[in-house]
Amino acid sequence: MAEVKTREKRILWVISVPMALLALSAVYPVFFAINAALKTRKGYVLDRFGLTTDPTFVNFSQAWNESRLSEYFTNSVVVTVGAVLVLLVVASMAGFALAILRFRGRKIIFITILVSLMIPVQVVLVPFYRTMIGLNLIDSRPGLIIAYTAFFLPFSVYLMTAFYARLPRELFEAAQIDGANLLRVWWHIMLPMGKPALVTLGILNTLYCWNDVLISLLVLQDQRTLMVGIAALRGEYTTNVPLLAAGICLAAAPIVIIYVIFQRQIVNGIAVGAVKG
Amino acid sequence: MKTMNRVLRSGTILAGAITATLGAMSIAAAEDVTLTVWDWKSGDPTTTAYYDKVKADFEAAHPGTTVKFVMQPHDQYYTLLGTAIAASKGPDVVLVHGGSQAKERIAALTNLSDKVADIKARVAGWDEFAGPDGSPYAVPISIQGLAVYYNKELYKKAGLDPEKTPKTWAELKEVCEKLKATEITCFALGNKEGYGADFFYSSAAANALTPEQQAAWTAGDLKWSSPEIKAIVQAWVDTQKDGWYAEGANSTAKFMDEYQSFERSENANTIGLLSDVAHWKEFDEFLEPQNVGVYVMPPVTASVNQTLKMPLAGGIGYGVTKFSPHQDLAIALAKSFADTPAMQIFFEAAGAVPSDTAVDTSKVESPSAKVVLGSLSNGAGLLHNNTSTAETEEWHRQSQMLFTGETTVDKAVARLDEVQAQAKKK
Amino acid sequence: MTETLPATATKRRKATAAAHADPGSRSVERFAYLFVLPALALVVVFRIVPLIWGLGYSFTDYDGMSAPRFVGLDNYIGIAHDPVFLDSLINMLILLATLPIWIGLPLVLAILIHQGVPGGKLYRAVYFFPAVLSSVIVGAIFNVLLRYDGSFNLFLKALGFSAVDWLGNSSTALASLIAVQLWSTFGMSLLIFLAGLSTVPSDMLEAAKLDGAKLTQTWWYIVIPSIRPIIEFAAVVTTIGMLTSMFGLIYVLTAGGPGTSTILPEFLIWLEQGKMNRPGYASAISMVLFLMMAGLAAIQIRIMSRNADI
Repeated sequence: MAEVKTREKRILWVISVPMALLALSAVYPVFFAINAALKTRKGYVLDRFGLTTDPTFVNFSQAWNESRLSEYFTNSVVVTVGAVLVLLVVASMAGFALAILRFRGRKIIFITILVSLMIPVQVVLVPFYRTMIGLNLIDSRPGLIIAYTAFFLPFSVYLMTAFYARLPRELFEAAQIDGANLLRVWWHIMLPMGKPALVTLGILNTLYCWNDVLISLLVLQDQRTLMVGIAALRGEYTTNVPLLAAGICLAAAPIVIIYVIFQRQIVNGIAVGAVKG
Repeated sequence: MKTMNRVLRSGTILAGAITATLGAMSIAAAEDVTLTVWDWKSGDPTTTAYYDKVKADFEAAHPGTTVKFVMQPHDQYYTLLGTAIAASKGPDVVLVHGGSQAKERIAALTNLSDKVADIKARVAGWDEFAGPDGSPYAVPISIQGLAVYYNKELYKKAGLDPEKTPKTWAELKEVCEKLKATEITCFALGNKEGYGADFFYSSAAANALTPEQQAAWTAGDLKWSSPEIKAIVQAWVDTQKDGWYAEGANSTAKFMDEYQSFERSENANTIGLLSDVAHWKEFDEFLEPQNVGVYVMPPVTASVNQTLKMPLAGGIGYGVTKFSPHQDLAIALAKSFADTPAMQIFFEAAGAVPSDTAVDTSKVESPSAKVVLGSLSNGAGLLHNNTSTAETEEWHRQSQMLFTGETTVDKAVARLDEVQAQAKKK
Repeated sequence: MTETLPATATKRRKATAAAHADPGSRSVERFAYLFVLPALALVVVFRIVPLIWGLGYSFTDYDGMSAPRFVGLDNYIGIAHDPVFLDSLINMLILLATLPIWIGLPLVLAILIHQGVPGGKLYRAVYFFPAVLSSVIVGAIFNVLLRYDGSFNLFLKALGFSAVDWLGNSSTALASLIAVQLWSTFGMSLLIFLAGLSTVPSDMLEAAKLDGAKLTQTWWYIVIPSIRPIIEFAAVVTTIGMLTSMFGLIYVLTAGGPGTSTILPEFLIWLEQGKMNRPGYASAISMVLFLMMAGLAAIQIRIMSRNADI
């Protein structure tokens, strides 16, 4: 037995080598971005890979102040937090109804939502924009929150439905379910029980909303979100890589920090649908 | 399925009804007017002074008016403009590229014929923003064109006279041979997006085509398979075979990878621009002004002009959207982008060649800038500006496949003829 | 689409307590509608209605400026003869064929980390980094790495191989693009798999070990089957991502070239819609893309309905 174990250990050590290389490759862009952000534009053109010899923080302050990323930051935070909260509430409500309750049209509603999952953004760009204008939702943060909710909802509803459908049924046998206390069942049982799936959705949707450019460009033309501000740093011809890199470092920092601090909770928290198989 | 149809139908009707009601309700009655301008330049640090000047002057002259610049990411610019136009809502004033991009959108822009008489003579470059009847649809702010910039230091290294520039294709060939012999790459080339190929055929055609032939090209009567154009396509392939370029042109972006390699003195020549970027001001910064030279690319076949003319045309310009509720103000704003004091700043700070002929350029020191400015009065047409977008996209693809050897010159021009016929049919 | 359902309907397992208690209760039904209404309304108004609207455009010569004119199937006939579109479809199929790698690689890595490979905790944290960076920076980095005189080729030359123009060659450009996208997204799937693995009861693994099962056998016969629904879920997410979120990287890395070798339908729609200003034509391409995705969707809906027990 012991022999088998040491052999296995040795194999794992050997396998760890390529995995470490992959890890290095994953860290490299972060290093590249920070290193580039500390260079001047001319310094970057003349030497793209070398280590910065005289680091400058001009790019960070320029991105933050002159390119107004500080202003966009607030927009991004408000919109992302708002959209993720709305998404979680709406998706868990729909998931609860679709998975637990029985009503006519359940199947057709579920399929409608799944079909909309397959519609690429580009396909509906012009009509979507006109709908937003028609509903007077252009140029407002709530408008963008609604747009994000609509775009990322199908997936969230699916996941919540799948998750709830696989919870052990003993959970609900205790609760008397009738029309009057459904809201309480949802609040006191479904939401807490759904935590693992909600955490997953929270992360995925935060990433989607935070990194989105196209929807935000269309909907929020007056103000900007962070990623749009960064996309705009890339001019027609010139890409001022150090400035861009500084912007990206600033934009990615909150996500990276949250992830590194909470990764244990995140990984443990995620237990996507179908736990019981 | 039936249920879904019913839901969808009622959803559509509902959305339509809401759209109609809200549309009818939203009538702007505010006294203070905000004019929204879309561009892809106002965030560029070198243009900040120019935009600040335009805004300050305009707001001072029109109390109660606010000018708002919205810089859009360039990659999504025309997608966004398209959706805004389709919905008839969005910017009052928009920046457009001269040539096809402007001309294919004039249906959405206000005709400026009787509005710009006062500045028509002072400002140049109107043709690139004109409709079929010659009416202007945007106010040009820059002159754009193509010139070959070269590195005098590398010329010297190869034993070439740095002050003697090639006047014919044979002389250019000789220059490249000499450079090659000293292991210096002759031309920087980036063709990842196909821009390298655009600049090549435009430069090579400038002195190969008569003005009549240029017009025939614009109308779609001069074909890609015509001897004049085919010779250029052939030269595109031959120059690569003859080793004018470094390997990897297809994976090198013209902006700015190609120019950066020129700035690092990795190659001796590059086809650059007159305005915006990749021009004298930028190269001077990296290579020192006395080391940067400039000449006009000679034609592959015999020149139709006595002395070579520099290919140039209106660069970018501001138009007014038809749906803007503040037509008069918006027109005034579009014109103010070409005001001489602002243009002066645009020239000095951004190094753009201004469309305004009243700008004082006498103080400029750069030797290559002097050559460029001296060529403005007698330029040739900029061919790729008058090529339909569909042809341009196809040429980008074909030019890359000519390099990889996936197609031949004959096949490429045949395919481009097809696209040309289809594009000009409409 | 209803045809795909009977199979799952018969397979429907234990209905929930609520359904047993009072399946037909009017008040439950009313509340159920209230619960799904927000989701349904959002989806219908912002996704389904625009889709139908776009379908309408695809039968017109709409250019965004003048009133659309009905042209019947002209746009569809046009794209059927458009070599660029056909090439983009082939590229899409090649991309889809690589799905097993997109699933297999993160799955293997997740299992290894779960098995306690040395340094696993660090890898778990680090592998996620690329997924956080936007495609703009990922593209900028790989541009300089993969260019002809880039570091990757220098490395190859040092090992005695000859340099390859990874992004400038029709035969390698698509593969390079896919590899970069895979590299920048595998952390997400890895995270999902790790979460799934954490739900596999460890006594099951212990028992297998005591029976003398080899490591690989345990994986194949115990671990993978027990997280099958999660693998299916990841496959769905990945497929959607492949078809709808490659634009950023294409734009920065290859711009669709050389020739048509890295044009995907998504990129072509952007080209036609924006630069070429032909929304009508772009809509037709969109509809074809949607139909193909729907075909794929039929399979996936089957999987998803089963997972959701509907």
